[in-house]
Amino acid sequence: MNTPLIGELVKLRYQLLWAKTRSRHGRIALFLAGYLLLVMVIVLLTTGGFGAATLAVRSGKAEPIAQGVLAAVFLEAVLAANILGFGMSAIFSETELRRYPLGAPDRRIARHLTGILDPFWFLFFALELGLMVGLYVLGAGSFWFGLVAVLLLFAANYLLARVVGLFIDQMMKRKGGPLVLMGLIMTLAFLPAVVAPLIRNDPAMMDTVVRRLQFTPPFGAAAAMIHPGLAGVSGLATIVAWILGLAALLVWLENRPPRRQVAESVKLAWDSPFDRVGALFGPQMGPLVGHWLRFYGRNSRTRTMCMVSLPILAFLTWQAGQRMGPHSLFIAALGTLPMATFLGTSIIAMNQFGYVGGAFRRYFLLPTEPAATLRAASYAAVTIGASVLPIGLLAWMIFVPYAFDARMLLMLLCTGLTGMFVLNGLGIWVTLFNPRKADYNTNFGNDNSLGGNILLIGGMLVSISLPRLLYKFHPALVSPESWWMFLPLPVLALAFYLATLKSAGPVFVARREKLLAIVEGRN
Amino acid sequence: MDAIRITNLVKKYGQKPAVEDLSLAVPAGTMFGFLGPNGSGKSTTIGCMTGLLDATSGEVELLGEPFTTDNAALKRRIGVMPETLGLFEPLYAHEFLAFVARMFGLDESTTRRRVTELLEALELTDTSKTLSEYSTGMRKRVAFAAAVIHRPEVLFLDEPFESIDPAGVSLMKQWLRRFTEQGRTVFITSHVLETVERVCQQVAIITRPGKLVWQGDITALSRDGAVVCNGQEFRALEPLFLHLTGERYADLTWL
Repeated sequence: MNTPLIGELVKLRYQLLWAKTRSRHGRIALFLAGYLLLVMVIVLLTTGGFGAATLAVRSGKAEPIAQGVLAAVFLEAVLAANILGFGMSAIFSETELRRYPLGAPDRRIARHLTGILDPFWFLFFALELGLMVGLYVLGAGSFWFGLVAVLLLFAANYLLARVVGLFIDQMMKRKGGPLVLMGLIMTLAFLPAVVAPLIRNDPAMMDTVVRRLQFTPPFGAAAAMIHPGLAGVSGLATIVAWILGLAALLVWLENRPPRRQVAESVKLAWDSPFDRVGALFGPQMGPLVGHWLRFYGRNSRTRTMCMVSLPILAFLTWQAGQRMGPHSLFIAALGTLPMATFLGTSIIAMNQFGYVGGAFRRYFLLPTEPAATLRAASYAAVTIGASVLPIGLLAWMIFVPYAFDARMLLMLLCTGLTGMFVLNGLGIWVTLFNPRKADYNTNFGNDNSLGGNILLIGGMLVSISLPRLLYKFHPALVSPESWWMFLPLPVLALAFYLATLKSAGPVFVARREKLLAIVEGRN
Repeated sequence: MDAIRITNLVKKYGQKPAVEDLSLAVPAGTMFGFLGPNGSGKSTTIGCMTGLLDATSGEVELLGEPFTTDNAALKRRIGVMPETLGLFEPLYAHEFLAFVARMFGLDESTTRRRVTELLEALELTDTSKTLSEYSTGMRKRVAFAAAVIHRPEVLFLDEPFESIDPAGVSLMKQWLRRFTEQGRTVFITSHVLETVERVCQQVAIITRPGKLVWQGDITALSRDGAVVCNGQEFRALEPLFLHLTGERYADLTWL
């Protein structure tokens, strides 16, 4: 193993992070990221891990609570790593690492070492560590067994995230793969809604499920943290078995990249659906909107996100829709549906020119008002987002166990439209003031700028928590009786969106040189 | 009539000058070579002339009209092949060219006909590849096709011959000659001085930062004649260029 060279690459990972401080925005980003990270670690350690441990011990249900906490952290890390792209850097991809004098096994080690040493993973590690320390301090667990369990769980978690990411990536590149993936995600998203009533009707089923879950890494780790004896050893052995299995699966997937099947030459296709939809915007804007629709439509991450956004949000609706009265799911959906209109197109809608590279200059060579391209890009995002709304509403009518209520449907439509216009409007400002050079072809990594991450993550948090807060303080506001109060929301949001388009035009022209420098990587 | 006229053009990045008080006039129907060492401001000048960059001061006139970024009517009459080719990588060549053609106001049937003809002429008929999968030379050809598809009156080409094979260069030169014979103007930057010598009638040479050091007629060079500069005779463009911009020598013994 070429340890010095691998060490240099890991060092480079952090040098690149540090290099971002060379710009003013970078310094602010790093300060905020560092600050947030520190605060989050402390909060997670104390309230999350340690707090959970205290609750577990005091309630006398140490093991079930530890199992629940570890399982939730485990799944959320996998979801976050794949949705937000943390912990996987395109700079250390196999193609990039081939430039250096490293053999295949060394490249693999370097790739995964730089991946697992991402600050993102430390957050989850801190939470698990907090739980372990909490259990130990309160006398409910073993320190050494717990520490080994946390380290092994951390490794298993990373491996599973990479396997899932690679699987999604490969499925997206295979013929028919996106459909299979969609089916899988839908099944997983709606599984809790199907299983929950079954368990309610047959409590013995719960015991069977828990017995089966003993053979998963989070349950194995919980056993090792609490039972230092044979049960603990068995728990650790379970995680080791998973690590070996996942590592083998990862190597297998990495060694079998999908082969793109292309014909030597194909007939020129002139009349694409992108252009037909674009033509709806009139002869002036038509070609530009068609171009941007094509740009969004060809991006594999946009395609993936568009497909998975509804199932993911359905899952979030189910998860958030608890303890809010008889209309819990409805109140939760008021917050999740707006994100459905933005999540799929978000990475480009918040960074319209970051994926274009040097082609950005071409927009200024076209015989059109320069701001027209900014508007066209946003119209394309809104068009795609708007097409998700009817599907979301239809899914609502089919899957949610409520009697049909047109008022609910109208309120959901209103919040969906409001979210779409507000988030796309804000996306334009992020595009102009906090763009980032990004890779159109990569499927991994978080390409969002600081502003983009704040908009996306902040947008999700606000969107999901706002209806809950309204329910807590003014429940009447989120009841179907208040349907009429939702009607002005999309109108106001549309006004904001149109005002943004109008005022962003001159800003776009004025900032074009800065934008060009950033998207071409010269900032 | 001058197809291009620049008066006292200044472009600064912060306090750093990139182009300094540059004035040029390019007669219509001329193949004009714009030369200079790396980083001398050639691409910045083209950027200011085509609306990509804002000049700090000075004026640009194209085809007798003052040019600004918002002058869409004038943009329709010029074609640009930028230094960074500016191709939309996820598109196929025909999609990209059709998009450019439509943006420049060509109707559907003209677009299809010209795209097909350009792709065939430039040997870009492998339509199974997106632009990101093309070689550098093929990408250059696509950028060239995009610059000429709407039959512009003035054509700006930034390093057009780099990375293109000899047959492609020969074809492009043939097209450009026909272009200027029809009274249209070509503004070329290039480091391939032999080619410039053969195809251009006039040349301007700049040094860092964007300072004009010489402008003149070089048609004599293609007829084995000479060009006189600072009392010296030059029989080729290369010695003239090195004389004006300075020769460099570094003795790296380890190399």
